[in-house]
Amino acid sequence: MRILLAEDDPMIGASVRRGLTQDGFTVDWVEDGRAAEAALSDRIHDALVLDLGLPRKSGLDVLGAMRRRGDARPVLILTARDAVADRVAGLDAGADDYVVKPFDLGELSARLRALLRRGAGRAEPVVIYGSLAFNASTREVRVNGEPVQLSARELALLEALLARPGAILSRAQLEDKLYGWSDPVESNAVEVHIHALRRKLGADLIRNIRGVGWMLARRDSAAA
Amino acid sequence: MTSIRYRLLVWLLIGAVVAIAGAAIGTYLRARDEANALFDYQLKQMAASLTDAPFAAVAPNSPALGSGADALVVQIWDRNGVQLFLSQPRRTLPQHAQLGFTTVATEHGEWRVFSTLAEGQVVQVAQPMSARRELAASMALRTIVPLLAALPFLALFAWLTIARGLSPLDRVADAVASRSPTVLEPLSETGLPSEVRPLVHALNGLLEQLDQALVAQRSFIADAAHELRTPLTAVHLQAQLAERASTDAERSAALYELKGGLERATRLSEQLLALAREEPGVSNRAPVDIDIGATARTVIADLAPLAAAKGIDLGLNETPGVHMHGDADALATLVSNLVDNAVRYTNPGGRVDVLVRSDAGASLLEVRDNGPGISMEDRERVFDRFYRGAAAHAAGAARGSGLGLAIVRRIAERHGATVTLGPGVDGKGLGVTVRFPA
Repeated sequence: MRILLAEDDPMIGASVRRGLTQDGFTVDWVEDGRAAEAALSDRIHDALVLDLGLPRKSGLDVLGAMRRRGDARPVLILTARDAVADRVAGLDAGADDYVVKPFDLGELSARLRALLRRGAGRAEPVVIYGSLAFNASTREVRVNGEPVQLSARELALLEALLARPGAILSRAQLEDKLYGWSDPVESNAVEVHIHALRRKLGADLIRNIRGVGWMLARRDSAAA
Repeated sequence: MTSIRYRLLVWLLIGAVVAIAGAAIGTYLRARDEANALFDYQLKQMAASLTDAPFAAVAPNSPALGSGADALVVQIWDRNGVQLFLSQPRRTLPQHAQLGFTTVATEHGEWRVFSTLAEGQVVQVAQPMSARRELAASMALRTIVPLLAALPFLALFAWLTIARGLSPLDRVADAVASRSPTVLEPLSETGLPSEVRPLVHALNGLLEQLDQALVAQRSFIADAAHELRTPLTAVHLQAQLAERASTDAERSAALYELKGGLERATRLSEQLLALAREEPGVSNRAPVDIDIGATARTVIADLAPLAAAKGIDLGLNETPGVHMHGDADALATLVSNLVDNAVRYTNPGGRVDVLVRSDAGASLLEVRDNGPGISMEDRERVFDRFYRGAAAHAAGAARGSGLGLAIVRRIAERHGATVTLGPGVDGKGLGVTVRFPA
C-alpha cells in the first residue's frame, strides 16, 4: 500500500516514513500543502497521512479541496492533544481518522490498515482468497493454513493484487505500489517478484495477461 | 496610630480643647479687666463717702464694708500719722502715703489700695486682689463648662462624620479585594470623592498593565508548550524507531537521530529560557562597558565549527574600539543568535560576514549572509516569536527554534538599540543591522 505523508517537520516526517516503511507501506513524503496537492493529483497513493499545520497550504485546505474534487481516498490526520477544534474541523472536512501527537508508530500503522481495509469494504483484517489467507495487520500469509514467508516487496505486490481482485494491474501500476519516489526502480523487478509469489503460493494464483498486466486468478481456480 | 479616622478624631478633639481653653483664658482676662474697673470704682466711691461723713459713723464690720476675706479694709490717719481708724484690726496694711490707686504686696497677698486726702486725714480703702481674680475665674468657668459638656457630642458627631467621609475608601478596598489574577476589570471611578479618584485611576492603570502582562505571559506559555510538542513528538517517534531496530546498524542510526531530536528540544528550551531572561524587569545586572568586537570574536570562535561543517566562510570585519554600554551576556546572546541564524539558513558553501563599526557616534553590529534572505512580507513577522519564514521552512533539517530574532529584538529594545533587515553580502541574502545609540 502506498501512502502519501504530508508533514512539515523534518524529524517527525523522517521518523514516520521510516516507521511506516518498516510496517510494509510504501511512503512518499511531502513537506508542504502545495506539494501534497500535486502528489494527490497523480492518484497513485492509497491513503494520505496529513499534518494540519502545513506551510503554503494548510492541511485542512488540502483535505477540503480533495473532498470537493470527489477524491474519496482515506485520510488520517495528525493533530495535537489539546487541538480538539482542529480535530473536529479535520473530521468535518472529510478526514477518516486521526492520531494525536505524540503518537505511537504501531498505532498509526494499525489505523492506516483499518482505513484501507474499510475503504476496500472489508471489516476483517484477514483477506481470504480461495485457499489463501492474508492478514494485513500481522503481514502473515497462509496457504491452506500453512504460513508462507514472503519478502516485503512480495507482500506489497500481493496486497496490491488482493485489493482489486479481478482487475488487471499494469506493470506501472504495480511499480507505483512497490516503490516510493526516492526508491530506485529495479528493471524486471515486478516479473521477479511475481515469479517468486507463484513459486511460494502456487502457479495458478496470479495470471499474466500478455501485454496488459497481471490479475488474480478466479477464486475457485485458485482454490484448486 | 495608622487609622485616619482615629487620627482625625484625636486632632479634632485636641483642636476643640485648645479652642475652649483659649476661650476660657480670653474670658478670664476680659472679666478680670472689667472686675478691676468695677472694684476700683467701688473703692473710690467708698473713700469718697468716708470723707463726706465723720469717720465715727463708719462702724467696724458694717455691711457696707462687707465681711470675710473679700471685705474692704478702711484705714484713716490724721495729719500726724496717728491711726484713727482701722476697720479690721487683724488686717495690717502698709501705711501708704502715695495717693490714688496702688497695688501692694502684703503677707496676705496682693491688695488694691485707694488713698485720698480729705480734711487733713488720709483715708485709705483696700481690697484683696484675690477677690477680683476669683470673680474673673468664676465667669470664665461659666463660659467653658457648657462647651466642655458639648465635647463628647462633638466627638461622637465627628466620629460618625469621618466614618461617612471615609466610606468610599472602604468601597474601593472591597472592589480591589474582589479582583484576582483572573478578574482584573477596572474599578468604577464614578461617584468617588475627588481625593479618592486619583488613587482609583492609578489602580486602574496598574490593573490594565497587569492584565496585559498576564495575557502576554499566558500566550507565551501556550506558544512555548505548543512549540515544545513538535520536537518532543519527534523524539518520541525516534525512540520508537530505536526500540524497533532489529540490527545494531539500524539501532545506532536510530539513536543518532534520537540524539539530534534531543539536541533540538534542548536548544528550544534554552532559547525559551533566553527569551524569558530578557523579559522586562527580569534582568538586574548592572550595565557595563562592552567591546562589541571582542564579543563578536568570542561568538564567531564558538560557531566556527558549525560553519566549517557546512563549508560556510564565516569572518569578522572589525573597526577596533567600538563599544556599547549594557549587559554583556545579553549582547553575546544577541550576536550568537544572529550569527547562528545566518549560518543555519545559508546554503553550504555560502558566506557569513560579521561587521563591527561606528557610524556618527552610534555603534553598529551587522551580520550579512548570502543565503536565501527574507521576503519583504516576512520581514516584520520574523521578529514574532515562533514565526518561521518561508526560508526557514525551506531550510529543512536545519530548522531553528523560531525564537532567534524575537530574542535579538528583545535584547536590542532593552538596550535602546534598533534592528533593521536589509540585503546581505553583495546585495544578496540577508543583512541584519543592530544600531546601538551613542
